[in-house]
Amino acid sequence: MSDDVKISIRNLYKIFGADPQSVLPLARSGMDKAELLETHRHVLGLRDINVDMKAGQMTVIMGLSGSGKSTLIRHINRLIDPTSGEVVVNGEDVLAYNDAQLRELRRVNMSMVFQKFALLPHRTVLENAGTPLEVRGVPREQWEDEARKWLDRVGLEGQGNQFPHQLSGGMQQRVGIARALTSNADIMLMDEAFSALDPLIRTDMQDLLLELQAELHKTVVFITHDLDEALKLADHLVILKDGEIVQQGEPQHILMQPNDPYIVDFISDINRARVLRVRSVMTRTEAAPEGIAGDVEADANLESVIALSGGDTSLRYRVVRDGRQVGLLSVKDLVRALVPTAASGEGIRARAG
Amino acid sequence: MASYDFLFDGLGLRAWCDGGASAAPMSMADLLGQARGAAAPAPSLWDFPFPSMNALNRACPAFPQARELTKGLEDGFLSIKDGLSIVLDPLTQPLSWALEGALWLFQTSPWWIMIPLILLVVRLVTRSWGLVAFVAACIGFLAFINHYDYAMQTLAIIFVCAFICVLLGVPIGIAMSRSDTFQRIAIPILDMLQTLPPFVYLIPLIFLFSVTEPKLYGIAVIVYAIVPVVRLTNLGIRLVDKEVIEAADAFGMTRRQKLWGVQIPLALPNIMAGVNQTIMMSLAMVVIASMVSAPGLGVLVLRGIRNLELGVGLVSGLGIVLLAVILDRVTKAALARVNAAQRQ
Repeated sequence: MSDDVKISIRNLYKIFGADPQSVLPLARSGMDKAELLETHRHVLGLRDINVDMKAGQMTVIMGLSGSGKSTLIRHINRLIDPTSGEVVVNGEDVLAYNDAQLRELRRVNMSMVFQKFALLPHRTVLENAGTPLEVRGVPREQWEDEARKWLDRVGLEGQGNQFPHQLSGGMQQRVGIARALTSNADIMLMDEAFSALDPLIRTDMQDLLLELQAELHKTVVFITHDLDEALKLADHLVILKDGEIVQQGEPQHILMQPNDPYIVDFISDINRARVLRVRSVMTRTEAAPEGIAGDVEADANLESVIALSGGDTSLRYRVVRDGRQVGLLSVKDLVRALVPTAASGEGIRARAG
Repeated sequence: MASYDFLFDGLGLRAWCDGGASAAPMSMADLLGQARGAAAPAPSLWDFPFPSMNALNRACPAFPQARELTKGLEDGFLSIKDGLSIVLDPLTQPLSWALEGALWLFQTSPWWIMIPLILLVVRLVTRSWGLVAFVAACIGFLAFINHYDYAMQTLAIIFVCAFICVLLGVPIGIAMSRSDTFQRIAIPILDMLQTLPPFVYLIPLIFLFSVTEPKLYGIAVIVYAIVPVVRLTNLGIRLVDKEVIEAADAFGMTRRQKLWGVQIPLALPNIMAGVNQTIMMSLAMVVIASMVSAPGLGVLVLRGIRNLELGVGLVSGLGIVLLAVILDRVTKAALARVNAAQRQ
């Protein structure tokens, strides 16, 4: 069931400072982050966050540094406690949990991957991968097999006896992912998991994650500051700015209809032909077409259609999904969709220029 | 006429002042003054005294003299001494046994067992043949110049005291790392222990324990040498990478699992550095403790000072230097091994 809401965050506020409760009403009434800091010496971390994360989907939370994304993900397993609001996981309010329940939640239901890997330097790769099971009290001979299985799965066959410092960054993060998978939890929290890696290795890791996800269908919460990465991975994209959600929804939808100059600015730099899908720019119709040049998949990206058409803008294609027609795509529309929204004069940069 | 007469007159305390003279013993200066019967010179502004206890006492005999402060402290200590002894004596008795046992063991084992045993320990701890050869040369030299027994006594005391320092210091350091309040309380105490001249510890200890008991110098050494291992344990645990701690939490480790599985292993290089410092400081204190009957090379140093036997003092001093170098090199080599295993 992919439509089940697995994690639900409701009206979440987080304020850092000496007495957060005292300034909570001010934050609720909409006081500016800068003003709150200046007049009350409290930092507004998150304001009125509402997100539903569906089971088996990858929810990507994107924002620049300081936007509160790392704070937000830490609320899900309560590494940080909110000032106000609800975090509901599997239908239960985790804020009501006591220490033992919370530990159980972290051991059984959730795993986490960290930006700087956070491996235990004094333990071997195999022991690191087995940590979640070892913590639960599973005897070594049992978790060793499980850990080895996942190490093999992420491409670290035969590296189990190395120490983390003997591996490259990309391989260390593979250990981090194997560790998260060994726990067998159905929720995986990934805090800027690939941000510390080189671009090429990052692409590798993204592909690995997508491959694993296609097979395992975990509920993944992924944090990133990289829009390309967000668009590549997201089923549901949440864009954070200064602790508030600016827009959330399906990535294609956000690309086509950004509702904020901040997002327009963000998406003006990306390669639209590669991230936009045929289904986002096609005309929805099931009427039998005339004079079409061929069929294209609804989930194909525009780049592949351009390659197919050889640059001829007069062509039209039939869009199919599972062999059935869902719409039509003219290459003219396609080219028009490649022009970023910023060119319409709404963007911050257009105004500044 | 005293300089502060006006103060007590002004406050209307003259009657109280003349009521009872301070009971403090007379100072030598006062006695001399009395004997001479000299009249006080005319007071000038240059000579106007600070309103110290003694100056105020001159104006008002009922006001206590400074000597009464030290005397009061002494009386106070003497009055609680018996009670303190009853509590501390049995508590510290195991220390005496441990020291006696170690001294007996180190001295009665023949040299042809002791020296290979020490070399074996060095080999196991450092995995370096070079260091084993160095230690063999040093101990061989000390034995050759007939300082073997003294050196073994010193080593025995250091082993016992450093072991107890680690046994007590590491848990204290862990407690400090967990509680900011405890850290705030403990740091001034550690500062005091570290800066108080070591001779000062000895005075109350002599009152509390019999000079013939080994625990007297044992306590002095431990109190002096425990500071670095406490400090560095605290520091080491606080310096453990926040993300690793976060990962430990995220996978649901209990506090105990986190302590033994993450914090202590990652703090080990720092803890070992603390142990190294603790051993060096116990060596320094063992020499001073020879004044309260601690056996070993310190006794020879003391003899050198007392009788101005230049040669005895120098040779035993050199012996202590050799022991220090051995202990330092061996613990540092062990530390380097820990570090190498943990590079991140």
